This record gives sequence, structure tokens and C-alpha cells, in this order.
Amino acid sequence: MKHQYILLIILLWSNFAFSQEDKTKLDFTGFVDTYHAVRSQSPNDFMSSRSRFRGELKMLKGKSYFFTSFNAVHNSILNSQTGIELREAFFEYSAKSWDFKAGRQIVNWGVADGMRITNIITAMDMTEFLAQDYDDIIMPVNAIKLRWVKPKYNFELIYVPIPTFSILPYEAENPWSVFPISENPILDINMDNKPELTLKNSEYGARFSSFLSGIDFSVSALHTWNKMPVFTRSLSPTFDTIFIKANYYNLDMLGLDFSVPKSQFVFRGEGAYYIGEFHAANSQTGNLEPVKKNSLNWLVGIDWYPGNDWTITAQYSHKYITDYLDVLQENENTILSTAGITKKLLRSTLSISTFAYVDITNSGFFDRTSIDYALSDEIHIMLGYDWFQGDKGMFGLYKNNSEFWIKAKYSF
Amino acid sequence: MNTIKRITGIAILIAVFMMSNTNTFAQTLTGKQIMQKVKDRPDGDNRKSTMQMELINKRGKKRIRSFVSYSMDIGKDKKSIIFFKSPADVKGTGFLTWEYDDTNKDDDRWLYLPAMKKTRRISGTSAKKDYFMGSDFTYDDMGGRNIDEDIHKLLKVEKTDGYDCYKIVSKPIDPKDMYSKKISWIRRDCLVAHKVEYYDKMGNLLKTLTISNIKKIEGFWTAQKMHIVNHQTNHQTILLISETKYNIKIDETLFTVAKLEKGIF
Repeated sequence: MKHQYILLIILLWSNFAFSQEDKTKLDFTGFVDTYHAVRSQSPNDFMSSRSRFRGELKMLKGKSYFFTSFNAVHNSILNSQTGIELREAFFEYSAKSWDFKAGRQIVNWGVADGMRITNIITAMDMTEFLAQDYDDIIMPVNAIKLRWVKPKYNFELIYVPIPTFSILPYEAENPWSVFPISENPILDINMDNKPELTLKNSEYGARFSSFLSGIDFSVSALHTWNKMPVFTRSLSPTFDTIFIKANYYNLDMLGLDFSVPKSQFVFRGEGAYYIGEFHAANSQTGNLEPVKKNSLNWLVGIDWYPGNDWTITAQYSHKYITDYLDVLQENENTILSTAGITKKLLRSTLSISTFAYVDITNSGFFDRTSIDYALSDEIHIMLGYDWFQGDKGMFGLYKNNSEFWIKAKYSF
Repeated sequence: MNTIKRITGIAILIAVFMMSNTNTFAQTLTGKQIMQKVKDRPDGDNRKSTMQMELINKRGKKRIRSFVSYSMDIGKDKKSIIFFKSPADVKGTGFLTWEYDDTNKDDDRWLYLPAMKKTRRISGTSAKKDYFMGSDFTYDDMGGRNIDEDIHKLLKVEKTDGYDCYKIVSKPIDPKDMYSKKISWIRRDCLVAHKVEYYDKMGNLLKTLTISNIKKIEGFWTAQKMHIVNHQTNHQTILLISETKYNIKIDETLFTVAKLEKGIF
């Protein structure tokens, strides 16, 4: 499938490019990085050990542009992750006031940091949960995008014929598995219920964005799939196996976001109304069929730039399920906040940062603190600590996964 | 003998006339007017340059940053966009700035981060005091400062390094500003600064900027080398400006978030 993609995109590129007289410009860049993490508590085992080569090829001819990026990964902990992976591959044609982009591309709507409110067309790779760079978490989508570009606003239409779904680790050997290891009863997990590739199952949406003096804002509408499955459970007649099934459902969204700079601050906000979102449900006697409900999701954030290379950010997000039923597994109100501080020192060669997610609903948190030192313009060494706390919720699941990590990166 | 006296007398008269003429001209212009003339110096409606920045620490170790810069005048306001070409870890990063002549209005700034494929709105004021990409230039030093943010006083007209210069002291109106004053030597022939001294809050000399290789390109005076030395840290930055072009075929659509995200090759 991926090879077909590249072929199609190169075909598109060549079609447009050969009709133009300009010279072709080529650029090949990328990086090599190696990342290793060790659990900070017993048994102090390796949580991650992977190395990666990232290549990025750009070709430009006149108004036609082709971009592809790929990863060659060696993962010592998760053998299934070793291999070559196509990340992005798209063709773009830019006219004076519109552009067209087709292929595997990253879509990043909204103004939230490390959270998704309106950017729900993008799936997330949770193979190592949030304990990786956020640009490694967000997944490219296979999309066709048409955009009108004016000096003060853009309007884009997006069509996704083949939806991409979030990757949730469930293998027992992965310390970031979303299911606890269970031997009795054993877990039989079925993740293969993704929707068929039909026209009816495609995704589409539109976004109007305006960039004005003193304010940016966007409004968006989307018909998409919830990238996260809703799990249903059932017990075998012999009570020795729990069957877990991932179910995928459609979702519609109406969203808006804004950014307003004021003196040393930037105020951000994002809101989305999810229409027809399915939620897992339980009764006292067992698992029920998922229930369809609407939800209101919003976020406010503030960035403070006090000078001297300090950046301080904070965000507060809230999800409210309308017409709530007590059988729903999810709470009626879910509150998640973040806080981040970054300070650059030694003429930006040293960066110290911390970014924390606080699960207010379940009294848990995850904090990633790191030091990034540039040995040279090309080589960076990073040290960090991922700290999990809590007994419930998504961070409680990983309360024994706090880890020290080291990363080295060479960019070329 | 009489002839020599007469010639000497004429020479003195000419010198006195020239000096008095200089003083008369200098006296007719205030410090602010000269700074305004510097700002209003003809430089086309738009311009493009390639810049290389050498960051040199006290041990002589160099780091290089290179970027392409475009700017355009929109009335009294200015829009600019820069794209980083090196080093590799920041390649593709872009800054878009809309600067306003009105000091009561914050500039609009956006930062594009290629790894995230995301544009961030950033503060239009505080970043101006931060050093640009680890160099010795703040955003303000690189030309983003409004004339009305300082009180300018012409000290005298003097010859410096062979150039006739206006010597002007500029003191910030905002007491929280990072400099207590700046002293500029503005070349009278081309209205480009030849040298600027920056003094810290304690009044000590912090940095000296020397501008050289000033040439006329397409009829506009253009500085091609800016060398700034921080005397307190012994760090220095050399900014080399090349491939400058004026009045190129660009329009306002270049200075948009959409173009920032596209980058340049």
C-alpha cells in the first residue's frame, strides 16, 4: 500500500513538474537518533532501546513539490517495531492563491500543546504512550487537501479516503500496554475491527483560518472516525478468557480555536462539539453495548514569554458528556491540565524543560523533565526523567513506569 | 611669505566656513530627526537577502546559522519573513513578523516549527529583548526597534575611522529596557550606522557593533557586514549579508502563515 502511495505521488509530481520549465531542486536531510530508557524502580529494566535513521527528501520544480520522509528503526525491546517505515509522502502544487496537497501528510489543526481538541483527524501512536516526543506521537494521515490562501485568511477542504487509527500497544511484552498482564483469566484481544476501505467510510472536513493583527482564529467542521477504539468485553463460558474487542465509530465535530497575543502573553483557546461519540458502558451484570452521546470539549491555555529565554505555558481542558448516563465508563466531566517551563541557557546551547500533564479527574500526573545540550550545531545530547503518579486513570496505569532516559541526535 | 599667509588664511577661512557649515547643518537636525532619516533611508519597497551568522565564543569556537530574509513595506509598517537554512536541526524553521510603526501596537509574530508541522503565535513584545538564535543580536538590535521607544540626542558631529559621523545618544523611555543607553555613530554620507555602543543597566559598555562593507546595491546603500562584540562575555557575532536584491517581484501573500509553513528551498 505504501509503495503504491509513493508511486502515485511521484506520478502526480512528474505529471505537473515536467510541464514546467524550472530546474528541479533536490534536498536530502534527516537525522540519526538513539534513545534508551530504564525504569527507575525495581526491576530497573529497559523500557525502551531504539535507534533510528530519518531521511527526508524534498524535490521542487516550479510550483510542484514532492516530500517524503521515512524511518529505518532498530528496536531492541519491541522487535515488531524494527524495520523501515514510511512517514510522509506527498505531492503539493502551489498556485498564487491556492494549493493542493495529496498523499501521506501530517495535519495539525488547533492551538493546543500535547492535546487534541479539534485535531481529531490525526491519529496518535501510543506505542510508548506519551513518553516520546510529541512529533513522534502524531501520525500522518492519507489525505487530499485543497486550500485557498489569502493574505489574511485560508480556507481548506480535506478528504481522507483511507482513515488512519491510533496505535494502542496491547502486547504483553510492551511495558506501555494499555491492558494489564493477566494469566487467569487470559485476555484475548481483537483489534482487527477497523472499518473497510469504502467511499462511505472516508473522512472529510473544512477549516477556515484567519490571521489578523492581534488575533488568529479558526472554525472547522469534520466528519471523521474516532481514532481511539471503544472496547467491549465478554467472558468465555468457561470463565478462563476475557474477550476484548476494539470497536471503531464515526464522529462529527464542530470546532473553533483562537490565539491572542497581549504584551508578554499569548492566550489560546480551543473548543469542539463532538456529535455522536460512542462511549464504553458497563452495568452491574457486565459489559453493555457502547452508547452514543455528544460531548463538549474545550481548552484554554496561556503562554508567557517573560524574556531571557524563558517560556512558561499552562493549559486547562475539560470534557463534558451531554445527557450523561451512569452506565458510561467515562466520567461526565473529565479535566486534564498541563504546565510547562523551558529555559534556554549558554546562548541557546542548553535547554532545560519540564512538561507535565495533570489528570485532575483521577488525581494522577505525568511529567517529562529534560536537559538538552548541543555539543555542536549537529549533535544534541538529551537526558530526562519521566515521572508517573496516580492510582487511577491513564497515568495510574503506568505508575510503575517512571524512567530515566538518554537520547543522542545527529542532524544532517 | 605674504602669499603663504594669504593661502593659510584662506585655508583657515575655508575650514572655519566648513566647520560652521557643519555645525549649522547639525544644529538644524535633532537626534530624532537623524534617526528618522536613518530609518527612512531609501531601501526599496521590498528586499531579499541571504544572511550568514557566525557565533564565536571566547575560545574562538564558531557556530554558523544561515537564513534567507524577505521584507516589505506596507505604508509605515513592515512585514518580514525569515527561513532558516542551517544548521540542520533548525532548518525549515521560520519567523513571520508584522511590525507596526505605532508604538502602542504590539508586533504580530509567528514561529513555524517543521518537526511539528505547526505554527505558533508568539508574543510580539518580549521576544524583542531576547537574543536571536544564540547570537549577540537581540531582535531589537536587528532593526525591529521603533524610533519612538528612545529619546535621541545629537551629541556632536565627528570623524570616526575616517567617516564623518553624527554621534547620537539614545536612551530608552522604558526604564525596564535592557540597555541604559546606546551611542551611535551615523555616517553622514549614507545615513548608515558605522558603529553602535550598547550600555547595560549599570551604565557599563556591554556590546559594540561595527558595520562595514557598506555599498550601493541597485542604488540603495546596503550594509553587508555587521560585527558585534560582547565585551562582558567576550562572545561575538559576525553577520554577513549577501545576495541582496531590492524591489523584487513579491507581494503581500509571501508574508502569510501559509507561506511560512511552506518554507523555501
